Amino acid sequence: MSQVPDTLSKRLATWARLKSPWVSVFNTGSCNACDIEVIATLMPRFDVERFGILAKGSPRHADILIVTGPVTMKQESRLRRIWEQMPEPKYVIAMGACGASGGVFQGLYHVLDGVENVIPVDVFVAGCPPRPDEIINAVVTCLGLMKEDLARGGKEWRRKPVESTGTVERPPDHGEVPA
Amino acid sequence: MVETILPIGPQHPALKEPVNFKVIVDGETIVGLELDVSYTHRGIEKAAEQRDFIRVVPLLERVCGICSHAHAQAFCTGIEEVMQLEVPPRAQYIRTIVAELERMHSHILWLGVAAHEVGFNTLFMWTWRDRETTQDILEEMTGNRMNYGINEVGGVRRDLTAGQISSILSRLPKLEEQIGKYVGMVKGEETMLLRFRGIGKLSKAEALKYGTVGPTARASGVDYDIRRDDPYIAYSEIPWKVVTDTNGDVYGRTLVRIRELQESLGIIRYCLEHLPEGPIGVQAPKVAPKAEIFSRYEAPRGELVHFMRTNGTDRVERLDIRTPTLANWTSVTVSLVNQHIADIPVIVAAIDPCLSCTSRITILNEQGREKARMTLEQLSEYGRKYSRERGRC
Amino acid sequence: MSGPLPLEDVKKALERFGPVEQVRFNRIKVKTVPENVREALFHAQALLACDRLIQISALDNGQSFELIYHLTGPHRMVIAIAIELPRDRPEMHTTSDILPPAGIYERQIYDLFGIVFTGHPNLKRIILSEDWPRDEFPMRKDWKPKPRTPRGGARQEAP
Repeated sequence: MSQVPDTLSKRLATWARLKSPWVSVFNTGSCNACDIEVIATLMPRFDVERFGILAKGSPRHADILIVTGPVTMKQESRLRRIWEQMPEPKYVIAMGACGASGGVFQGLYHVLDGVENVIPVDVFVAGCPPRPDEIINAVVTCLGLMKEDLARGGKEWRRKPVESTGTVERPPDHGEVPA
Repeated sequence: MVETILPIGPQHPALKEPVNFKVIVDGETIVGLELDVSYTHRGIEKAAEQRDFIRVVPLLERVCGICSHAHAQAFCTGIEEVMQLEVPPRAQYIRTIVAELERMHSHILWLGVAAHEVGFNTLFMWTWRDRETTQDILEEMTGNRMNYGINEVGGVRRDLTAGQISSILSRLPKLEEQIGKYVGMVKGEETMLLRFRGIGKLSKAEALKYGTVGPTARASGVDYDIRRDDPYIAYSEIPWKVVTDTNGDVYGRTLVRIRELQESLGIIRYCLEHLPEGPIGVQAPKVAPKAEIFSRYEAPRGELVHFMRTNGTDRVERLDIRTPTLANWTSVTVSLVNQHIADIPVIVAAIDPCLSCTSRITILNEQGREKARMTLEQLSEYGRKYSRERGRC
Repeated sequence: MSGPLPLEDVKKALERFGPVEQVRFNRIKVKTVPENVREALFHAQALLACDRLIQISALDNGQSFELIYHLTGPHRMVIAIAIELPRDRPEMHTTSDILPPAGIYERQIYDLFGIVFTGHPNLKRIILSEDWPRDEFPMRKDWKPKPRTPRGGARQEAP
């Protein structure tokens, strides 16, 4: 079933999403270099706002969630909850070496190695930290993925098969809702 | 009067790091503060015990992305002293240049964030645009804009060519001119003056009693600067001055940081013009003798302490890091009492918190009653609205 | 800023608490027992003009826990007061009433080592996540991390 938008409002929404994605940044315990490079993309030198990309605080309004950091145990349940709050269609960009595998912090006692152990990721950006140009490239790649997903009716066409590893321990929930 | 608790956190776009505040208020005045800042605890001190002296430096650089050279250098200073290594002067000068560039990029970053807090977005954009000059210089010198990787035990890993030196020197005058403009803007801009003057005041005695360090303490007249009091790398050979101020409030801290920017620029220029010839490092031995080391460094935010114990192997037995933000949190709780909640973002931002270096809390007093929710962005917006409505700006 | 403290002055003030040793040109160490710490801190503040606490370092040397209080003052010397605590009863009286910054440092040491600071107004969990088990202290030498159990995420569950 193709999800090609057929009504005017749907076409408008798709055009807005593709032309002006709203981005929300979530820090799961990073050293802040990645976060500063994301803010540097909004600054006059790289100026990503001229492309229509806006950084919004609340994940409820975001199309793309940029996750920095290797996901500490404290942030795990909150990251999961933020992801669940995002409206479909939602996309996740995991920044840097930390987002991919935990980076230098792989194996430390308070860290889960990488964002994909908590939420599904669409784009990984390499770097420690990735340069602002590479971040813009990642967002543009993500937009390309959005277009393809719309044409093919969802994300199933690019989802890799996953093997279950037995019992799964859900992270505990502390009732804390980030705004 | 009903006491309200306002929890704020843990996701904010303005403050780059996750933090959770619980502010206890009586109407509009703050009565107490509770902070939960452990979102970035990664277990680095334990990992440092299992990595040898070559592998631990990249780990320590990523304790904090803004003061990454600070952590690597504090560690290297300590280990080199224990191993009794004679690090060549050219390496020390290069390290000093990177250290001061880091201080500059950190202070300019802070100035932008502080301006953003009061709604002065023009200065936010200008400062971050000028910051790109320092980032370009760092990228040419070290290969990366942050987390430089230029330090190792025994020296530095990359050299400076004559072409690079002259190219960097040619870019400094423009930067100097821009920094001079910031002084004028801060002193003349009504918005900033009204939001910064008299806020978060710390007397000299309080600053000492609560263990504040860095520009926060120097703005209250406390004359501590590790670069002069316990010199490391090349600071004892370079003419420079410690910057202090007597205002003690957020305005004083702003002035201290801008003047430190000017001092740093002078230090960089001196180092580039007087760069000694020679090798850029010595071969460090694999193991370090048994010793106890207390290595201190003046990071952009204040005094950074690495306490180490080595035991004759190729790794440390214990590495205990005390970051400047940790030392300054106590003063935040003290200086917030009896202020307005609209001033929380400004006061917290004024100590230039680097939460990924840190992770701790303090409590003044707590009696919970009604709860309300606000993100830090909402609180900043509230602060700007509050100031406008009360006719302050 | 006054000149550096001569070793004799430090010895006169603190020798009654234990051996005084100059370990570096600007650092003097005093080894003492936990009961003397409060008095030693008073003496350092009153007689040696130490007005600032830099850090409380904690370490586990295999047999016991060591705590070192580092103080400094206008003389720019670091006075280090070191004590040892037994492994089976790691308790120490708080010093946060004499030195306010100690409040934060003691909370962190409690979380990571399990050293209980009696008399502390608020000795709660501060640096580890709230799900962390109460009796596991990661910085102790005999603590080993457990193997990771899958926590539920894209890698483990089918969408």
